[in-house]
Amino acid sequence: MANGNDEAGRLRRFGQRGLKGALAPAALVILYVFFGLFGRNYFSYPTLVNIIDAAYYIGFISMGVTFVIISGGIDLSIGTVMMCAAIIGGTVFKRGWPMLPSLLIVIAVGVAFGFFNGLMVSRLKMPPFIVTLGTMMISMGVGSIFANVQSATFPIRGQPGGWFKDIFLWISPEGGVVPTGALLLAAVAVICHLLLTGTRLGRYTYAIGSNMEAARLSGVDVKKWQMLAYVIAGATAGIGGISYAAIYTTVLPAQGQGFELYAIAAAVIGGTSLSGGVGTIWGTIIGVFIMSVLSTGLPSLNLEAHYQTFFTGVIVIGAVLLDMYRTRKAAEVRIETPAEAYRAGRLREAAGLRQEAARLRAAGDGKRADELAARIRQAREETRATFARMKAGQKAEQARIRAEARAADRELAEELKRRGPPQGDSERRP
Amino acid sequence: MGRQILSMRRIDKRFTGVHALRQVDFDLEEGEIHALVGENGAGKSTLMKVLIGITPKDSGEIHYLGRQFSPRDPKHALEMGIGIIHQELNMMDHLTVAQNIFIGRESMRPGGVLLDARAQNRRAEELFRRLSMDIDPTERLGRLTVGRQQMVEIAKAVSHTPRILILDEPTAALADAEIDELFSIMRDLAAKGVGMVHISHRLDEIHRIAHRVTVLRDGERIDTKPVAEVSKQQIIGMMVGRVIYEQPKTRSAVAPDAPVVLRVRGLNAGRLVRDVGFELRRGEILGIAGLMGSGRTETARAIFGADEVQGGTIEVRGRRVTVRSPQDAVAHGIGYLSEDRKRYGLAVDLSVRDNLVMATYDLFRRGLFIQARRVRQVAQEYVRKLGIRTPSLEQLLRNLSGGNQQKVVVAKWLIRTSDILIFDEPTRGIDVGAKSEIYTLMNELTRQGKSLIMISSELTEILRMSDRILVMSEGRITGELPIEKASQEAIMGLATIGHRKVLSRS
Repeated sequence: MANGNDEAGRLRRFGQRGLKGALAPAALVILYVFFGLFGRNYFSYPTLVNIIDAAYYIGFISMGVTFVIISGGIDLSIGTVMMCAAIIGGTVFKRGWPMLPSLLIVIAVGVAFGFFNGLMVSRLKMPPFIVTLGTMMISMGVGSIFANVQSATFPIRGQPGGWFKDIFLWISPEGGVVPTGALLLAAVAVICHLLLTGTRLGRYTYAIGSNMEAARLSGVDVKKWQMLAYVIAGATAGIGGISYAAIYTTVLPAQGQGFELYAIAAAVIGGTSLSGGVGTIWGTIIGVFIMSVLSTGLPSLNLEAHYQTFFTGVIVIGAVLLDMYRTRKAAEVRIETPAEAYRAGRLREAAGLRQEAARLRAAGDGKRADELAARIRQAREETRATFARMKAGQKAEQARIRAEARAADRELAEELKRRGPPQGDSERRP
Repeated sequence: MGRQILSMRRIDKRFTGVHALRQVDFDLEEGEIHALVGENGAGKSTLMKVLIGITPKDSGEIHYLGRQFSPRDPKHALEMGIGIIHQELNMMDHLTVAQNIFIGRESMRPGGVLLDARAQNRRAEELFRRLSMDIDPTERLGRLTVGRQQMVEIAKAVSHTPRILILDEPTAALADAEIDELFSIMRDLAAKGVGMVHISHRLDEIHRIAHRVTVLRDGERIDTKPVAEVSKQQIIGMMVGRVIYEQPKTRSAVAPDAPVVLRVRGLNAGRLVRDVGFELRRGEILGIAGLMGSGRTETARAIFGADEVQGGTIEVRGRRVTVRSPQDAVAHGIGYLSEDRKRYGLAVDLSVRDNLVMATYDLFRRGLFIQARRVRQVAQEYVRKLGIRTPSLEQLLRNLSGGNQQKVVVAKWLIRTSDILIFDEPTRGIDVGAKSEIYTLMNELTRQGKSLIMISSELTEILRMSDRILVMSEGRITGELPIEKASQEAIMGLATIGHRKVLSRS
């Protein structure tokens, strides 16, 4: 294999990876600027706080679901588990528990459901879709039953236990607002990122999602690591539940259905592959903020909330289409046509001449440099014309070959018709 | 002589790293059965894939019925009268036999909306009668034996009234009686003027059924001859060719008193491992030969804990061990290189580095975190040691050639410091140059005191590498040959011992 090929391949792959990494953030920035230019009062601190507020609960669970999806599974229960955990926490608080244990209960409920999902998937080998669909309904039921189908109201600021709201939104005595939850979201994101890239848990999650059987035959304890992915998802559902309670105060029973789809959408927008083995926390976070910019930006254009779901859908499909297109491009073997080879050669020549011109100019020979520059321009025109001619020639040639193939097909079909089905006109016997 | 219906001229095809076909010529006459033989990777399947439009050729010409022919895809080829019966069955277990045969061209009731199951079953019955097959069209396909399913596949191909029929190892899964049935169908088709390409590893069959034979080796056509003019030995000679890599071993390099590192006794697992027992000595390469389905791979998987074991004992370095999962096996220093690298050995969408250390992350751990720098160092070291050709450690494994992928799998187990390595078809799908590198590597490993089990379908490879050869048939070990006494004939003899004979022997 030629060395130059490797070099070019590496450059190309780097380009694609760079593109892949930059595309979602670029989309986020473009959206933000777009709403800033056309939306009402969008470039403002309160709006920024709103964007971040809207990102919390989906943000936490989307990180959890990213683990599960990379491991090759899916978690449909994560939204309802989050709300189930929140309402159980709110209910025990209402029944007189102090705030801190109530919050710990929220996390514990999330972890417990994650554990259950993990057990079913890893030990009993049930399909994740089915298990978590079941858990989705179970957790909705459990929350309602535990709360007696009553809403649970968390304390507001100033009430006993209201301190926990400061974790997500700190309001100074003067009325200044600091979205402290952003710090928590960032901290959880960093932890998740480190888990995914720097620990065995993460590497095995990728390995299992990429090829579970190969991981097992490498001696990886697939059951354990697969289960942990669901447990992490459960834990993030717990944290998400707390954030939901802090922002919205009141938790209604049997809520949360649909949140899981937003979480999955965020992961997918961020480049996580539903067939497993591919994805990053960074991408998922970008996906979350794209959705949250949409949900805050569209109202500022006087478009109602349902437009948000519409555009989120468009973005999900667009992101996946783009991803598939890029993957196919990357897998394609490109063959350089004579026209392209010619152009590449001329471009190299031109680059050489330009260097020469720069050298002459540096040496103070402006006149010859200008001459050279004129020649380069002329050569560029020539190259463009010749390339276009060669390209057209190639196209015509290809069309001719295709036409010939079609004609040959027709002739062959006629020949087949003329001969009829194979009949016993052969004398051969083994 | 029949008229020529197909002529392939100077067909050339390259894949990354492999020159699969080099200027290959091939032709076929009306009513001819033309055997196409060669070792694994010789290019037989690729040539046929070019013919039916799965793989586009790089250069060369195909003339069919005297006209130039450029197949677009298998459907196009089939419409033009070129059908193929694949080695693996491509049918739907949950549909009926008739539904499988007529999928995509179902019988409809007048109006063209509703299916006409009865008419379709009648068509299938008619087809089976013509082929003298006794199969119920309304039976669910999955309830038939593999042999019967193969017959259905053949009937399906015939139902398209092909002029050319390609049979890719059609007898691999068939019992003797079924093979007789298949051959009589093939003879009937030949009498009707259908030309057939018969790909087979069973050289004995060729003289029974074929008119001519073409031998391919490493992508080149060696010769085409009427079968009456060549002996089986001559065909083998052409297939194997000049031995350009290592000479066959003439005697074992292992001292008879070398310590036993692995002792297996009375191993039973699944349907295909019956009372298997053997010993493996330090520094030895133990070859396991046998036909497809003889239980070789299943034995390896049972020892490695990949499949459930029903009975038997395993001793590693004299200590009785329990192996319930691959983790246990790995802990005892056993490594397994699967026959199907892409499915069981590698994660092709992960990087070279990730694959190299997949079995060993716990060795690179400090506290919770993996020491990325040490992983990189070790990965780099093994890439160098084994000569893995990759632009970087971050390269995705799917972009490496087969030989280099195989080296990555070997390196994975070396990093794990496994002393007992089971190589299952280590050179499948690898070209000649890379093969000899893998052989050199295996010999080097034994010099370092590692013990190897090598499972292979290629007898030449088994004879070239092994110190001792076990032959399996029908799930049992039917014989053990020291390399001094081993030959292709001796191995094939033991490999084809039927089940009943095995029982009466023991």
